[in-house]
Amino acid sequence: MREVSVIGVGMIPFAKYREKTLAEIGWPAVKAAIEDAGVDKKDIEAAYCGSALGGMMSGQRVLKQLGITGLPITNVENACSSSSSAFRQAYIAVAAGVYDVVLVLGVEKLTKFGGGTLPLEKEDFEVTHGLVMPALYGMRARRYMHDYGLTKEQLASVAVKAHKHGAKNEDAQYRNEVTLEEVMNAREIADPFTLLHCCPSGDGASAVVIASAEKARQFTTKPVRVACSEVNSGKYMTGFRDMTTPEITVRGAKQAYEEAAIGPDDVDVAEVHDAFTIAELLYYEALGFCGKGEAARLLEDGETSIGGRIPVNPSGGLLSKGHPIGATGTAQIVEIVRQLRGQAGNRQVDGAKVGLTHCTGGGISGFDHGACSIHMFSV
Amino acid sequence: MAQTAEDIHEQYPLDGAALRLAADGTPTLIGLECGDCGTKAFPPAPVCPECMSENVGDLELSDRGSLYTWSVVHVAPRGWNVPYISGYVDLPEGVRVFAHIVGADPAELEMDMDVELTTAVLGANENGPVESYAFTPVKA
Repeated sequence: MREVSVIGVGMIPFAKYREKTLAEIGWPAVKAAIEDAGVDKKDIEAAYCGSALGGMMSGQRVLKQLGITGLPITNVENACSSSSSAFRQAYIAVAAGVYDVVLVLGVEKLTKFGGGTLPLEKEDFEVTHGLVMPALYGMRARRYMHDYGLTKEQLASVAVKAHKHGAKNEDAQYRNEVTLEEVMNAREIADPFTLLHCCPSGDGASAVVIASAEKARQFTTKPVRVACSEVNSGKYMTGFRDMTTPEITVRGAKQAYEEAAIGPDDVDVAEVHDAFTIAELLYYEALGFCGKGEAARLLEDGETSIGGRIPVNPSGGLLSKGHPIGATGTAQIVEIVRQLRGQAGNRQVDGAKVGLTHCTGGGISGFDHGACSIHMFSV
Repeated sequence: MAQTAEDIHEQYPLDGAALRLAADGTPTLIGLECGDCGTKAFPPAPVCPECMSENVGDLELSDRGSLYTWSVVHVAPRGWNVPYISGYVDLPEGVRVFAHIVGADPAELEMDMDVELTTAVLGANENGPVESYAFTPVKA
């Protein structure tokens, strides 16, 4: 397998673009990534598009706006992991030597659903019986609070940290700082969560251009190496399962660290899937940033804030930057690439050399999560 | 039981083969038991998710279990009576069931408390009330 590098990134600010089509939301991110890479659109040999709810031919609908057609375009649906899974398909193709330059994009328009909780698959038994994503995470949170003594204040402080970071990100959907009191007194969604414990609904697009390491040298002197690429599906479990341990992330992290020959202590910056406050804490532990039951202390000690030992979600994460489902995976990669290039402005993690992205999701019965994708990058 | 609720679940039956009601209305949850490998699961299915055997039969599940966790849901798709309590109930057969928890003040709920099976009206659609299985705390 060949070494693969990221040579271009782009995204649009996550927001509610009710008046725009999916194609109109998507193309500016793609154009930005191509311009950032310095490639001609004719250099792109294949494209992979992640979208969870964008409908048929999302990639073709976006790319025709820019006249990027006639090449192999593959659309990938894997819930929240759609574009991170698309990135893995692109990575495999380049690493295997099938293509030299490939485009990956993620695009989503959630405002078409008019708001409320994310529409889930109605064929699923638990969904038909009233399972919604905030409640699924809320139930995880309640059990974690019981088992590990996490307080409501500690849980709410995840959102405070997220917004503190997101306020520095011009691509974030919410760029306001929030206080602990504001988080705790917001409208109730699914206990123990108020509105500010939940990622917002919105629209967005992000894109990445990758190339073989050899080809990358033609376009840039600052390629970002893909250190590992991993995607898993959840295990269907008919019996009891520990909802405080996201097994799919634990399993995926072990594989990712082995593949990259990099340990959790070597990670300088991470973007993790904080769809709800409890998620970020669960993933600190699952990714090995701290031991079981120690996540709240890691947060309280400032270790996961910019300036700390392992800054997590400097972009603001899903809670503040936003979570247009299919666009999230590649947007995480955009942030990590900017961090490793030293282009993250006033939210720069100083000296970041190794970055990790983690994107997981999919609410279906019997799974911790349906899919999980972990990537690592280095310079 | 009201079995169609367009707002809630469109064309899919809410309980289907997973709920059996006696003549007096007493509910029983039905799971799957594999005749070959012994796997137990809920809801029932025509094939074993462990060994792929189609030699599967109905498993009458216990009507009592313990509450693994819960959340009070305030925002949900149209059709549900909000707020409602969603929870996971662990049954002695080793299967976990997603269920609404009814007849309880959320402040009274405790982790791992004993709950028992019942039925309840959980929402409504244009055809009338939507009724399904639920669990409720066992009264001392």
